[in-house]
Amino acid sequence: MSTTELHQQVRERFGVETTDDRVLALGAAGALCLLVSAITFLIGSPFTALPFAGFLFTVAYGLYEYQAATAKALSFLATIGTGTILALITFYLLVEALPAIRLMGAEMFTSTSEPMWRTRGEEMYSLVPMMWGTLVTTVLAMLIAGPLGVAGALFISEIAPDAVREVVKPAVETLAGIPSIVYGFIGFTILNDYMMESLELPTSGSLVIVGLVVGLMSLPTVVSVAEDAIASVPESMKSGSLALGTTDWQTIKSITIPASFSGVSAAVLLGVGRAIGETMAATVILGHAQRLPDPLYDVFGNTETLTSLIASQYGVASGTHMSALFAAGVVLFVSVTVLSIGSQYIERRMKHQLQGES
Amino acid sequence: MFDRVALGIVGTAIVTFLLGWTTLFDRTSPDTAVAGLSLFALFGVAFLLAGAGLIAAGIASNVGLFKTTADQYTGLGTGVAFGVVGFATGGLVTTILFGVGATGSALAGLVVALIVTLGIAVLPEDIGTTLPVGLLALVWGVLLAAGFVDVGWVWDPPSLAATFHAPIVVPLVTIALSLLVAWSGAIVAEGFGSQGRQNGAYLMIGLNAFGMIAVLLLLILFVVRKGLPTLLEGAQFGPGLSISVPFLTKGVMLGQQYNGIFPAIVGTVWLVVGAVVLAIPMGIGAAVFLTEYAEQGRFTAVIETATNALWSTPSIVYGLFGYAFLVPRFGNRNSLLAGMMVLGFMLLPLVVITSREAIKSVPDEYRDASAALGVNQWQTIRSVVLPAAMPGVVTGVILGVGRIAGETAPILLVTSGAPFPARAPSILGSFRFTATPPFVQNEALLQASSALPYQLYAVITAGVGQEEAFGWGTALVLLLVVLGFYAIGIASRIYFRRKLHQ
Repeated sequence: MSTTELHQQVRERFGVETTDDRVLALGAAGALCLLVSAITFLIGSPFTALPFAGFLFTVAYGLYEYQAATAKALSFLATIGTGTILALITFYLLVEALPAIRLMGAEMFTSTSEPMWRTRGEEMYSLVPMMWGTLVTTVLAMLIAGPLGVAGALFISEIAPDAVREVVKPAVETLAGIPSIVYGFIGFTILNDYMMESLELPTSGSLVIVGLVVGLMSLPTVVSVAEDAIASVPESMKSGSLALGTTDWQTIKSITIPASFSGVSAAVLLGVGRAIGETMAATVILGHAQRLPDPLYDVFGNTETLTSLIASQYGVASGTHMSALFAAGVVLFVSVTVLSIGSQYIERRMKHQLQGES
Repeated sequence: MFDRVALGIVGTAIVTFLLGWTTLFDRTSPDTAVAGLSLFALFGVAFLLAGAGLIAAGIASNVGLFKTTADQYTGLGTGVAFGVVGFATGGLVTTILFGVGATGSALAGLVVALIVTLGIAVLPEDIGTTLPVGLLALVWGVLLAAGFVDVGWVWDPPSLAATFHAPIVVPLVTIALSLLVAWSGAIVAEGFGSQGRQNGAYLMIGLNAFGMIAVLLLLILFVVRKGLPTLLEGAQFGPGLSISVPFLTKGVMLGQQYNGIFPAIVGTVWLVVGAVVLAIPMGIGAAVFLTEYAEQGRFTAVIETATNALWSTPSIVYGLFGYAFLVPRFGNRNSLLAGMMVLGFMLLPLVVITSREAIKSVPDEYRDASAALGVNQWQTIRSVVLPAAMPGVVTGVILGVGRIAGETAPILLVTSGAPFPARAPSILGSFRFTATPPFVQNEALLQASSALPYQLYAVITAGVGQEEAFGWGTALVLLLVVLGFYAIGIASRIYFRRKLHQ
């Protein structure tokens, strides 16, 4: 292969414009070093430092001598790295979850016969109670965060006077930062006692408290994302409606909400994702019983969520038990990723529509 | 006259709404007596008055006593909203009165909902928006005022684990009904029609927003009130600048007068520093490549989707990944380094997303002007694009740091060690250089550490008890750290946006 061909290949494959052989050689050396250090890291060799030092040296020399090309190559590496992390997460979760799934088969996600979770003796891992727990808490949380969040977003974006908006909007965004463990601590010390005392619950902790706390927790997130969607409805659409003599509320009802509907649903989906993945509040509030509540809709009962299962049992787990926890992680990961892709699709469609109409 | 009645109704409803909340949280006792009436009987009287007022106003408007702008029909929207209320009321009442199961009460609720929806939809607006609310208020008022439901009332549903006592049920129903009454009263106040409906809707939305902010602010105040005594325990503010706060500067040791959370604070600081060092160069690099170098196509779309998926991945999943991937490679034990990397991975997608937004919002004229000077693309990026995008990037990073600083689940799996350590990890002091690979060693980086959120979790798993005050102190410090990051991030965003629009 002649050098010109090589250059052309490089240009086509990687989009790197170069006519300098030394740059190419340097890039190849750097890539090789990084590849070797990635492999040694994967197999857990103590010699990882050697090729990595070589990579660092190549980069340093490249930055000194061929800054533009090196910077571009580095930024490309960073991009690849971001994708690689997702791939690694997916790979390791699946590999670790495999033994449990192989042991239980499809029953892991369908079996409802007692006992559903036994870690000693004849092992039995059914994720059904945890999936149910996650579903119930998520639905409860969204019943709170959905309507209240959208109403809050409407208030900030459409109704509040400017002075109020300038205070409330940043305040809500700041409140989104309260760490979940703080909510959990309040739920554990205050709400659990309150519920046991006032409602005569037999056990400490119940799904309804988790739903309430998680709903409150995801409220600010839903508000600020939904507010962004509502604010992105073009002013011209609203003015057109107002010019017909409608009231503000009629315009909100028949123009703003329909136009921002997909964006608002994306916000709610994002909130759902947060609620599903919420770990600490559920872990400290729930009483960790790996069985279905009886009857199923008893939200005052105790069960387990996927997240709290992992957080409460990883310390005592090993072998297939640990693998079953990874299977719970897979269920979480898959459902949240599906939600994320769904909400991105909706958002993209909304952007497309608004650009088409305005 | 008409206006005053309506305003009186709204005012009464807001008072019962607020009193409902204070009663629910035990701030006002159900035994409080005003003018010989217990609190619940007082609620009853208020609802009787409001209900009667609403019905009277509706009828007065309908027969033409007062001139209003009511529409001919109430409409399906309001009908459906009442249908939902009807479903809840019908279902609950049949369960409580006849003790039927879930299916039965759901069916009964559906029947009620259907009748209510259709019935209200075809009523004239002035009747349809007042009569149902008025009737509900009257019924509830009679139940309370006549003592059918008093402090000793109990409902024990057979299928739920909970037992409902009056001190919880009455405030809850009162709050819900107060909202309905206030809404209806607000519509009456504007004389029905589109203006009335706007008034009603705005009142509801405003109350909701007010309630939301109030609850969240109360939460913070609550933590501050509970945690401040612990935080300041043994603190001395001497003459001049000599301040000593043992809670922030000491570990947990036997025989020490005041225990503190210094090791956890240092742990959190190192975790954040490590995550930032890992995530920021990588995140900004990826953002530059995606926005400036790469052609927008399938590759960028895939990476973008991957970034968003990473961003929404639950923290516990990151923890599991760190447990399976990083921990075995760092000596098979929990370590600070593994925590740094996992938190860095969590921070990365946020840095990529916000940096991309910031770089995209740099106007193309900047790039053109720079290119016209004959410099290459990298020089343009370095000296024009990145500086212009820096404010947005910084803001995003600060917000992201706030998020990971409060993250507990991943730390639990990959970093946590002894729950109440006496000493902080000393990273700077434990670098060792060796002649054999891996040449640089840092014992402290490979050891387990505590962190603020983990410390709080440890208090909970230790059974709270004696440690509860310690927990509140930790919660306060954690809250201050995290909200501090958020406040700085948001303030800087507002500042830079203003500067941009000038």
